[in-house]
Amino acid sequence: MQLSGLRYGSKLLQLVEFPVADFIDGSATNQEIQQFLEKHRKLVVKPAFYGGVGKKGKAGLVRIVSTLQEALQAKRELFFAQHTYGNKTVTANGVTMEAFVPSDLEVYFSISSSSEFRGPVFTITPWGGVDIEALPPEKKAVVEIDPFIGINAFEITNALTDTGCPEAFISALVQHLPKLWELYDGYGLTTIELNPIRVMRKGNQLLPVACDVKASFDQDNPAWKRIGLPDALFQTETTAFEADINELRTYQGQSDVLEMNPNGSIIPFMFGGGANSAATETLGEAAIFSSDFGGNPPYEKIYEISRITFEHWYDKASMLLLIGGKANNTDIYVTFKGVFDALRDHASKAGWKPLYVVIGRGGPNVVKGMFYAKDILDRLRFPYKVFGHDTSMILTLEYAKRLDEWWRAEGASAYRNELETQVRA
Amino acid sequence: MRRLKTKPFPYYVGLHSLEELVTREHRVCVMNILGSESRKVTPVSHEYSGGNIVAGVQYGRRGTLETKIGNIPVYRSIREVMEKGITFDMGVVYIPPLGVCKAVSELVTHNEALKRIVIVTEKVPARDSRNIRALCQEAGVDVIGANCLGMANAWDRVRIGGSLGGDHPEETLVKGSIAIHSNSGNFTTTMAEYLRTAGFGISTAVSSGKDVYIHFALPEFLYAAQNDPRTKAVVIYVEPGGYYEKMALDWIKDRVFGFTKPIIACVTGRWKKNITRACGHAGALSGGGDDAEGKERWFDDYFGVDVFDPKTCKVSKRGVRVSSIQYIPDAVKAVFEKIDEKPDFPSTGDLSLKLWLGDTMVKVPPALDLPIVLAPAPYDRQIVEVNKQVGAHYLRQNMACKSGASRMNPETQVSELHGKTVLDLSRRTLEENLYFALAKVMPEKSDIPTLNLILNLFMKIDERRMNLIDVGRANGCTPNAYLASQIALVGDKELLAKSRGHARFIIDLIREFMLDEHTKTFPPELDAYVQEHLLRSEPSRKTDVSELLFKEVKKSKKSCVALKVCQHIIDLAEERGLEIRDTYEFLLATIAVCVLWNPMLEKRISRQLVEDSVTYFYLMSRIVAYSVVDREHNPHWKKLVDQKLSNLNHSFTENAFKVLFGRVPTPSDLLELQTLLGLTITNGPGTLSAKGAKESVSARNDISMAFVGFLANTGRAHGGNGYEAIAFLVEQFKDAVLPDPGDPDHGVDLQQMANRAARAYGAYKKQAQEVEDGAVKPIPCINHPVFRGNKINVDPREQFVSGMLAEKGVYNAFWEFYRHLVKELYAEGVTKNVFCVNVDAVLSVITLKLVWKDLQAGRINLRQVQELAFTLFLFGRTVGASAEIADHRDRGLDMDCRTPESELSYVL
Repeated sequence: MQLSGLRYGSKLLQLVEFPVADFIDGSATNQEIQQFLEKHRKLVVKPAFYGGVGKKGKAGLVRIVSTLQEALQAKRELFFAQHTYGNKTVTANGVTMEAFVPSDLEVYFSISSSSEFRGPVFTITPWGGVDIEALPPEKKAVVEIDPFIGINAFEITNALTDTGCPEAFISALVQHLPKLWELYDGYGLTTIELNPIRVMRKGNQLLPVACDVKASFDQDNPAWKRIGLPDALFQTETTAFEADINELRTYQGQSDVLEMNPNGSIIPFMFGGGANSAATETLGEAAIFSSDFGGNPPYEKIYEISRITFEHWYDKASMLLLIGGKANNTDIYVTFKGVFDALRDHASKAGWKPLYVVIGRGGPNVVKGMFYAKDILDRLRFPYKVFGHDTSMILTLEYAKRLDEWWRAEGASAYRNELETQVRA
Repeated sequence: MRRLKTKPFPYYVGLHSLEELVTREHRVCVMNILGSESRKVTPVSHEYSGGNIVAGVQYGRRGTLETKIGNIPVYRSIREVMEKGITFDMGVVYIPPLGVCKAVSELVTHNEALKRIVIVTEKVPARDSRNIRALCQEAGVDVIGANCLGMANAWDRVRIGGSLGGDHPEETLVKGSIAIHSNSGNFTTTMAEYLRTAGFGISTAVSSGKDVYIHFALPEFLYAAQNDPRTKAVVIYVEPGGYYEKMALDWIKDRVFGFTKPIIACVTGRWKKNITRACGHAGALSGGGDDAEGKERWFDDYFGVDVFDPKTCKVSKRGVRVSSIQYIPDAVKAVFEKIDEKPDFPSTGDLSLKLWLGDTMVKVPPALDLPIVLAPAPYDRQIVEVNKQVGAHYLRQNMACKSGASRMNPETQVSELHGKTVLDLSRRTLEENLYFALAKVMPEKSDIPTLNLILNLFMKIDERRMNLIDVGRANGCTPNAYLASQIALVGDKELLAKSRGHARFIIDLIREFMLDEHTKTFPPELDAYVQEHLLRSEPSRKTDVSELLFKEVKKSKKSCVALKVCQHIIDLAEERGLEIRDTYEFLLATIAVCVLWNPMLEKRISRQLVEDSVTYFYLMSRIVAYSVVDREHNPHWKKLVDQKLSNLNHSFTENAFKVLFGRVPTPSDLLELQTLLGLTITNGPGTLSAKGAKESVSARNDISMAFVGFLANTGRAHGGNGYEAIAFLVEQFKDAVLPDPGDPDHGVDLQQMANRAARAYGAYKKQAQEVEDGAVKPIPCINHPVFRGNKINVDPREQFVSGMLAEKGVYNAFWEFYRHLVKELYAEGVTKNVFCVNVDAVLSVITLKLVWKDLQAGRINLRQVQELAFTLFLFGRTVGASAEIADHRDRGLDMDCRTPESELSYVL
């Protein structure tokens, strides 16, 4: 759960009264844009994306304009701009036009979790506006935060001094930056990054103004809900399948899914975080989604998860795979009962379509669970192969992939024909 | 920031050697010990570890947690544990995530002797995790987790925290020389299991968790492993996110601490590089350089060799990285050879593909074909045993206000049985619905004659039994009362008990000898077994009915394994000149098992239900037979109940109609009857009738008494409410000339009649409101608490049935009258809007229509009509009650319908 840009970032910063650059959004009229231009002389036009989207500047998606004509041109070009970062392509949902803040100093500031310090740290540099990774170590400071105290003014002062910040700016920054800890700690953030903060002159005083914000939220900390951000902001990060499964999310986990390839052929029920990591890697493109249904889900929950899964993927998939190591606590019988009851019920509703079922699992009540599956699959006439925990999980996965390739290429149609012949006979 | 530091670390670590991490000397207190997960896991840990859990905390509750080696006392808070003088140095936290930080604070605040805390809970907010770190660093306490399964020491046989090794830790956690540190709890056990196959055991295993913060991470683990004389090598499982591993390896390289033992590291999760939301482990989300590839590089650089290749087995003395956990055993072997060490014990197998179960339906290409192999002990024995089991299994639970059979849909107010609405069920016959109530699927077409046969058979009664009914009637009993008195006496009569025994025998035989519908030859052992347990030389009692059943079973061509087995038994008996013991009951059981076999194999229904099914069929039939209204004048009665073979092949619904109405039904009569019965099948588990049935099951009664429970919980207000509507309609139509209420050309001006009734009711209402208490008796069967408030209101159930019957050309004058009435009431200003005609009206108008001609002719009186309406309700509801009883018997617990004292109150 992430956000970027001032459109929603400003809401966040206003919670702790951190100054933000003035901005208007894409719905502003020409007259409003003109007035905004007259007030600020230059505007920074950026596409607005849902979720956390970085590297916009590098992708040439940030324009500085000084006339209405240029502003409208930038708006036209950026309103539905497409941006690819990592393996993800996103489409903009409007633009923001931010006041250009004249400043002699651009500061980078972030608070994040550090595995090195096993706690929160802030990172600061007066050489901001660029990629923080690109800066040499002497130009940036990483400072550990005591979570019970927060950010001390002296820590900001020292860090800025050590990284070469002109003295005149330090006082203004020291007044405002510590507030960000309240935001970070009080509203369930895992990262907040302000880059750049431009320090503008306001009368005789200097004022740091955030010109861009990136934030990510802790899904396990409900505090972010108090901010009142629109639901749609995070919904776009999930697919319809993920959203349906997320409805079942509780603190016990048991229902984590991530859609990987909607054109894949294998419905993979993965049990446990380790199986999730290893199985998703081994299955690659064949896996429709990645999942972790471990943690001993109760029958009702695993039935519901399975019901939703089959509703989304039964028609498209050719294989159902249940994979996990030797469970510690998960009752295999209960989970298998949930999955196969749901499969039976879905098949009787949606019609017969043979999925090849491969199981690799160990743990409490495993044999009882396997026979539960066997009995239902025999009745459904779905073929199956069942392995215990004495078979390598990865070998099972590799075997399942090969079996699925054959099943899709020829096995399934041959089986259908054979059954039809039997029925006719 | 000032804080505790323990050399060589820049932070506090309270552990020098892995030997000390978890021992039998440690004393443990478990927070949320009675929570669902702990309640299962903690006793196993306690028993495995020699009873090291000295106390548990359950906020607000005291008690004990039972274990095989003694109970663990449970207190309301840590303070209370301390006040009792109980000392402990390890805390285990199972508290839900938002309470974890507070629980840790409580442990640290009240117990200065505390050394370590294991947090099992998943999804602890990162904020709380950093606060826990700060708290425990200040207090000098090591934290393992969160989101972990704790730690285990195989040398001392002790585990603390979660469920490493599962229910049988001794199976997997075998003593040896490998220390495990794993980001995955499941892989901790799985890797131990893999290592065991190659001859390596465990010294200590730690499930570190994989949240954003790992508090007991690789640097301190390796430091402690180096100082552990039991540990010869370290196996680690790593996922993306965090620089813990880099820190550890850098510190070794920089000689912050010495480390000389080999490491076998598995890094997975390359695919997580580009995801922005965690799936699986919350902390397995990489930032910049801490993705899987980055981590692989750290290890490869440290080891100085490429990733392990099982063909070349090249490793260094520092160890090797493996690409997946399946290579860990081979890699450890290779590393041990390199450092000149021997495995801990002989290898017990390998990790190759071993198929435990496979289908015989699809032939796969030779390259994919695998033989089924014998699973290792004890799973081999379990496979043989479990294979004999059949049918659905349910988890026993308190079913007091719950049902796995019925529910009232809160949005539509339409009740459902096994997911089908009563509207759908009202399109089905009584026999279909009874089968559905038990089997949870509708019968196959070929099963319907069999169902009719068995149901009609059980209508054959000893007519002397009717004397009791007559006494009841004479005493003014309502139908539920006299039917209950008869059903109570059924008990678990020999016929039912023996049929159950035979059903059990047949199912056992099929599973024990692994028979299915493709079985062509039966093994001689089966024949011997049958001869010993079922056949005998003394002749069995024969009746026309048993002869008929015998012929039916023998000639049936149905493809069902139960039938095949029974046909084989019949042949066997004939061949050997022997008789089947209790042939009639055996044949009944055969039929019942046969019709319910498929739903049982599909795990829709339990084996118990199949064994009991003869009883359900019997009771349904008997309720119908005993309900005859006026048997003296019923021309069909004798033929229905005598011991002759007439009527057996008719539809059971048709026979039920004949019992009640004393005539052969027309198709439209039958349609209306089954509509009426379908609608009354259930109204959810909260109804009195369902509760009565469930409570009786809860008291562990026979099935027949559970039916009595249902019957006893119906009455004039529940089931008998048709009394009022029928009386109202009869009053309205007393002067009308209506020879046939099913004829739309009846010539009666129903609108005018309705207007008259509306005005009369308006006048009555006005008058009633003027008297002091102002109580106004409503017109029965109009309005509904849910379907009200609109200008024109409609009960969708009534609308559905009306549409369905109209489609079939079925007309009902009383119904039309009701529809006019609600409009006229509004037109006359008696009601503020147009009330709906509710579904209860449907029941009354159909009943009245079915008996109208007899009533007009004086062949039946009003009281009998009202009893009939009640009886029809009971017929429908018997179907629903059967489902409810079967469900409660499958899932419920003894006495679960009892109300706890705390929920009771005394009223002055």
